[in-house]
Amino acid sequence: MTLQNHLATAPVPPARAIEISGLNKWYGAHHVLRDISLNVAETEIMVVCGPSGSGKSTLIRCLNHLEEYQEGHISVFGNALQRDSQSERFIHQTMGMVFQNFNLFPHLSVLQNCTLGLTWLRKKSEREARDIAMSLLDRVGIADLAHRFPGQISGGQQQRVAISRSLAMDPKIMLFDEPTSALDPEMVKEVLDVMVNLAKTGMTMVCVTHEMQFARQVADRVVFMQDGEIVEVGPPEQVLLNPQWDRTREFLDHIL
Amino acid sequence: MNNDAGLKQFVAKPARVPPHNDQSLVRRIHSRCFNTPGNSVLTIAVIILAWYIIRSALDWAVFDAMWNADTRRECLNISPNGACWAGVISWFNGLIYGRYPADQQWRVDLGFILAVMWLFPLMSKKIAYRNFILVSWIGLYPFFGAYLFLGGEFGAEVGIIHALFTSLAAGFFILLYANWLLAALNQPDLCERVRPLVAWLFPRGIQVICLLVVWGALSLPVALILSQMALEPVAIERWGGLFLTLIIATFAITMSIPIGVVLALGRQSKLPVIHWMSLLTIELVRAVPLITVLFMAVTLLPIFLPSDMELDKLSQVLFAVCIFSGAYMAENIRGGLQAIPRGQYEAAQSLGLGYSMTMLLIVLPQALRLMIPNIMTSFISILKDTTLVSIIGLFDIMLMARNIANDKDWIGLHTEPIAMISILFFIICYSMSQYSLNLEKRLKADRS
Repeated sequence: MTLQNHLATAPVPPARAIEISGLNKWYGAHHVLRDISLNVAETEIMVVCGPSGSGKSTLIRCLNHLEEYQEGHISVFGNALQRDSQSERFIHQTMGMVFQNFNLFPHLSVLQNCTLGLTWLRKKSEREARDIAMSLLDRVGIADLAHRFPGQISGGQQQRVAISRSLAMDPKIMLFDEPTSALDPEMVKEVLDVMVNLAKTGMTMVCVTHEMQFARQVADRVVFMQDGEIVEVGPPEQVLLNPQWDRTREFLDHIL
Repeated sequence: MNNDAGLKQFVAKPARVPPHNDQSLVRRIHSRCFNTPGNSVLTIAVIILAWYIIRSALDWAVFDAMWNADTRRECLNISPNGACWAGVISWFNGLIYGRYPADQQWRVDLGFILAVMWLFPLMSKKIAYRNFILVSWIGLYPFFGAYLFLGGEFGAEVGIIHALFTSLAAGFFILLYANWLLAALNQPDLCERVRPLVAWLFPRGIQVICLLVVWGALSLPVALILSQMALEPVAIERWGGLFLTLIIATFAITMSIPIGVVLALGRQSKLPVIHWMSLLTIELVRAVPLITVLFMAVTLLPIFLPSDMELDKLSQVLFAVCIFSGAYMAENIRGGLQAIPRGQYEAAQSLGLGYSMTMLLIVLPQALRLMIPNIMTSFISILKDTTLVSIIGLFDIMLMARNIANDKDWIGLHTEPIAMISILFFIICYSMSQYSLNLEKRLKADRS
């Protein structure tokens, strides 16, 4: 891959999972996303980083329509997304999302959190849903907590449940919105391990995160954002070790 | 990990039991009530005051009270300063059943027992269709109860549709208890038993058809039996007493939740028509006293309805009380909805749950749970507010109590019936609040 930091000419692998072009978003008069254009290839792991307020969370929340945007186009696997129920259904079937604050349903057990979508949306039988959920919980190493409630387990365990809950719906793309920011340092690793394993299975992932170790280990490309714009994008060794822009270097010096 | 660096190994200190202070009762009382001269004076004053109040109350209610007498005059002659419970006792039946015919009162008892029994299977976690129990109690039992209380020729007096639902209700009740028994014996339930037959006949929807087949098979004989017997008709005007109060209160309490949920969600809706309609209903009803709502229901409702549709007074009152309690409940539930963090909606949305599933599965269960204390307070005040219906001439427990004072034998007997009603209401309301505390504790216990 040639090392270039301008998007329009960046080479992209052929099968495109997500295409974003000319995305603009305002909160009132505040221009939070400015002309974002970005492609994510299938099975690509993309890490989005940048200082707080740079619009990285807003960007991935636009991808699965948690936020509205005023200008621009997003298409997922070639389907241009509109604001209608059909598009909405397609997005939620294709993309899973993991939140900074886990957002588990506190009134349901760990197992019920994972089976909810399977029984009510995918119309699986209770036994089938249970088997799928248990195998996913087993994969993230917390099958023994299946009957606990979210309030009774640690943050790291909750985030792993949240990942299983998303995976249960069998998404093609996983979005991670700062999945380790709300965790104690000792629990970050258990969540990152799960994410690394997920990356190895060929899942397409877009991760907003400050874990540069994770970026270096698994990311195909790293995006650096500042003030709602993409400053730099490229393979991790380029962006992280040899940034082309002063702002990127300054940011990296702060967090590394 | 590596101990070779000469690090000391950390070993936690053993845990100790907390020191407990074994103060004797006398010392505890001394340290709390008589620790300063001022406190000692206060304690003694309170004890003396309490002694006077309790003694005179007991004198009136127990020691000087008359339990056996034929008239109030007799009471007053023997013990002028005591309570005349004899009047309340001789009217007790009226306080409970109103003017329901004495030889038919077993129907009220039976209806009440069945209503309570309907909910017993909820205690079993294993029973099939557990979620239906409450729904059927709200949706089916009223038909059964209404037939039982009204009586008359089955299918003629109350209408064919009513008769149909009555049979279905009875069939469901039998199904419920049969399944409960089978679940307790660890046997497959009735629906499982007919499954092979149904699976052979129908390719799809086996679960639903199984339930319908068993349910229908149980309802049919009930319908046949019921159609052969005729209960003596009892007009609604003769219903009364605690029986009527409980009917109105139970109806208002069960309907207040669905009405409240709809109004609260409507108020939060982004669609302007729905939003403003809900807002208007809530604010209008909440800004008006219940008495006026009751009067309006009785006087205005017949004017709005088509002239050939005549509602009896009880239906009008039920309508008014439901709207009233629903509007209050809507605000309770809205409070609960606002306490649910945005993340819950986002997580539900990103799973692909639509609006109705998000509300039913994620938001409302949490909101209602948060609001249990407020909801129970509303329930209790609904129960007490229903005594107002006596003002528009329904013979509920309040009007029956006032009637005692008009009886020529017990003329002027006001205090004792009111005291009796207070005791009855206290028992009911206190058990409701204890139940809600228990419910809160239970829900908290397993999900911290």
